[in-house]
Amino acid sequence: MYVGQAIRRREDDRFLLGRGSYVEDITLDDPIAHAAFVRSPHAHAAVTRVDAARAAAMPGVLAVLTGEDWTRAGNGEAEGVWPVKDMSGADARTVNRPFICVDGTVRCVGEIVAMVVAEDRHQAQDAAEAIEVDYEEKPANTLTARALDADTPLVHPAHGTNEVLVTEHGLKEETEAALAKAHHVTEVVVPTNRVTAASIEPRCYMGHHDTVNDRYTVWTTNQAPHIVRRYFTKSLNIPEHKLRVIAPDVGGGFGMKLYHYPEEALVLWGAIVSGRPVRWVGTRSECLLGDTHARDHHTVGRMGFDAEGRILGVKFETLGAFGAYESQWNASITNAYHFTMLSLAYDIPAIHTTVRAVYTNATPVDAYRGAGRPETVYQVERLIENGAHEMGIDPLELRARNLIPPEKFPYQTAIGITYDSGDPPALVEKARALANYDALRAEQAALRAEGQWMGIGICAFFDMAGAGPVKMMNDLGAKIGCYDVASVRVHPDGRITVFAGSHSHGQGHETTWSQIAADRLGCNIEHIDLVEGDTDRVPMGIGTWGSRSLSTAGMAVYTAADRVVAKSKRMAAHMLECAPEDLDLADGEFTVKGTDRKLSFAAVANASYHSGDRPPDLEIGLEETSFFDPADCTYPSAVHLCVVLVDPETCAVTLRDYWAVDDVGTVINPMVLEGQVHGGLAQGIGQALMEECAYDPESGQYLAGTFMDYAVPHAEDVPSFGLDSHFTRALGNPLGAKGAGESGTIGAPACVCNGVIDALWHLGVRQVTQPMTPKKIWRAIEDAQRAQQ
Amino acid sequence: MERESISVTVNGRTYERAVEPRRLLSDFLRDDLRLTGTHVGCEHGVCGSCTVMMDGVTARSCLTFAVMADGAEIETIEGLGSADAMHPVQQAFWEKHGLQCGFCTPGMLMTAVELLKRNPDPSVDDIRDAISGNLCRCTGYQTIVDSIRHAAKLMREDGA
Ligand code: FES
Ligand code: FES
Repeated sequence: MYVGQAIRRREDDRFLLGRGSYVEDITLDDPIAHAAFVRSPHAHAAVTRVDAARAAAMPGVLAVLTGEDWTRAGNGEAEGVWPVKDMSGADARTVNRPFICVDGTVRCVGEIVAMVVAEDRHQAQDAAEAIEVDYEEKPANTLTARALDADTPLVHPAHGTNEVLVTEHGLKEETEAALAKAHHVTEVVVPTNRVTAASIEPRCYMGHHDTVNDRYTVWTTNQAPHIVRRYFTKSLNIPEHKLRVIAPDVGGGFGMKLYHYPEEALVLWGAIVSGRPVRWVGTRSECLLGDTHARDHHTVGRMGFDAEGRILGVKFETLGAFGAYESQWNASITNAYHFTMLSLAYDIPAIHTTVRAVYTNATPVDAYRGAGRPETVYQVERLIENGAHEMGIDPLELRARNLIPPEKFPYQTAIGITYDSGDPPALVEKARALANYDALRAEQAALRAEGQWMGIGICAFFDMAGAGPVKMMNDLGAKIGCYDVASVRVHPDGRITVFAGSHSHGQGHETTWSQIAADRLGCNIEHIDLVEGDTDRVPMGIGTWGSRSLSTAGMAVYTAADRVVAKSKRMAAHMLECAPEDLDLADGEFTVKGTDRKLSFAAVANASYHSGDRPPDLEIGLEETSFFDPADCTYPSAVHLCVVLVDPETCAVTLRDYWAVDDVGTVINPMVLEGQVHGGLAQGIGQALMEECAYDPESGQYLAGTFMDYAVPHAEDVPSFGLDSHFTRALGNPLGAKGAGESGTIGAPACVCNGVIDALWHLGVRQVTQPMTPKKIWRAIEDAQRAQQ
Repeated sequence: MERESISVTVNGRTYERAVEPRRLLSDFLRDDLRLTGTHVGCEHGVCGSCTVMMDGVTARSCLTFAVMADGAEIETIEGLGSADAMHPVQQAFWEKHGLQCGFCTPGMLMTAVELLKRNPDPSVDDIRDAISGNLCRCTGYQTIVDSIRHAAKLMREDGA
């Protein structure tokens, strides 16, 4: 059995030897031209003049293109993959992110106004700088919290409001009643900071138009190439069968590389216009500004407890950021992934939430690892933490009193979602043991007596992963079918190519998908190759996002491989003159049960293609495809626990220890799983302590344009992690797998922030917003001390 | 723009080329010599993905002009080891899952090689300090630290 083994990764050779093939590395026979963009320096402005005459005459320039050219060419508008859908039936105020400014107004810094295509990158950049653009600045607002204030400038005045739509979920009256009768009510303002994925590989695209065959090719740093192909039918009106989208090696995605970005459409357009292949690779500044941003919810929460600390009800009012425009998947956050998970790992009888999605003059927001659930966990867990302290109950004990007991599964939450399986008390007990919780509390008390500030952070949650099923996700707003696809092709020599609609950009599918296939096919893993990321080679695919690939694409591999086994057994049975049921397939051989009669898989594969002697109703060939639509989402769960030390002199936070206990269902490769959890934790820690896509509130200027300003965690900022796991089986797919990609980013912000609050509670500090920088902590302590005087 | 002739030895092979003074070493390696294993993640000296060895010490090729490498010996990821004979650092990253997307990996490996030359038995803190100029967004660093410790062990055993 390969499944369950920490097999070393089969894709690593090329990366370790410097032979990866990322979009920026690819060469073509024709010389590749380069694109550069003119971007708005203003948060909100009318574009009164664009003069490209001087740029067009510069050396090496092949084309200069503006929004007018875009419209004249008959190019189209972006369209939502997961568009905003008002549950009440009223119209949402949708304004899709433009590919290039076509209406004479720019609404955030970085919006593209013009494109230059030139022989080389420097020439393109020089010419872009020579394009003269006049702007008339307009008042702007970049703050989500202020979006609906009466005096806030409107991003889209035609709509008369910055509100995109309002959605309400849960039990309104029951929640009000629960809060009214509660023994204690905790209220906290719990905004989540605006962050961005900041993959180390910048976004990069290359477009090519083959005029002889009238075919188009796009190489893209993307996680879902078939979905990109679908949306080129809208941007450039290219039918799907004419376009090949290739997502080769991609240097990290984290959700951010899921969208049909402006630059992606523009490079192919530039290639069509200039007759040359065109490439663009983002500078770090362009990426920090133009990659979708994430989170940025402004939330006020109230939680009611009974006298024993049992949660009676919880209510949230949220302003959810859209930025200046609706990005393609944005509404999957506010309308699907955020509210659905508000019960976390707790048995809460009444939950109600109101989410107002809003426009601001800032970069569009979209999904980033966790997408909605980091916000959810942070909101609920910050209330629980403060509630525990206010009521004088140990924070872990208060949580333990509220956990969903294992016998309540499948558990329907008050928000309406049903968790199929899980055992939160077991996770908590494992975390308690792993961290030696009681000793930590003793240490905390001892250190506090010495004037040292130590805090223990905790959170416990469920994740919704593995999207579909198709119907459920359609009902939640998805315009695409959330299934996935795999073909298993057995070659006549018995070797196997697996084609999958997922995309690996660090997840290690070449290893894990092969583990699944090799087990099903009873073959050597070395006999399997995987193809992903090419719409001309892979029949269809929905891509890798939302911790879905294992329970959709992985299951499609599993299913297609089983079909291959079934078919090959019929051929083998014919050759061995027995019944298919009498055959075992293992180690590359069919054996007639209870005998020593054998036939190699390779011989059967060969006969499947080349022998006329076969069962009369058995078709030639040995290749099967599965379009796998899971029966349910998956619901991974986890408990995180950490220790922070806050320096009383500098207010700097040191994250000393971090433990996570995950229930991800069936594990294919524990080494890969651990890597996924670690990476997510580091990103979540970054959100809690360091990262922020900051804008100047007055001018709307973007302040995080380089890695000097946008603080991605370094090796010294994160601790070594202590992991454990607890297994309950997912019921929605035969593998029993739940997915593991997002647990870290979902839990870490809440856990770390709770740790800091726990460290400072005795000083009167009740809340510090993310990122919890030394300056903010210092100010919170000052404010608290002043309030106590 | 005027071009200058330079002579640079990369992975043991000497290249004579004429380059613009503003040409970066990273572009020279990637575009002129087609050695695309050296990656550019930020082009302003912060992420470390473009790290190469120049005359035996690490250098950020995105902050180095190609003309500054005139007469120098450069070693890039392509020169570190081969499929049949991986460098112990490469072997260790493979064994300890020190990479995910692979984009930061070439720079991490070069930095690790330099550290282990200086300090054959680094502690966890030494390693975290040494790679503090290399960003990785995928791994959370722990497996990279494990990999480098493991590489140190492999190299000590090799040397023994
Ligand atoms: S690309 Fe040179 S340090 Fe980032
Ligand atoms: S492995 Fe992806 S950035 Fe390090």
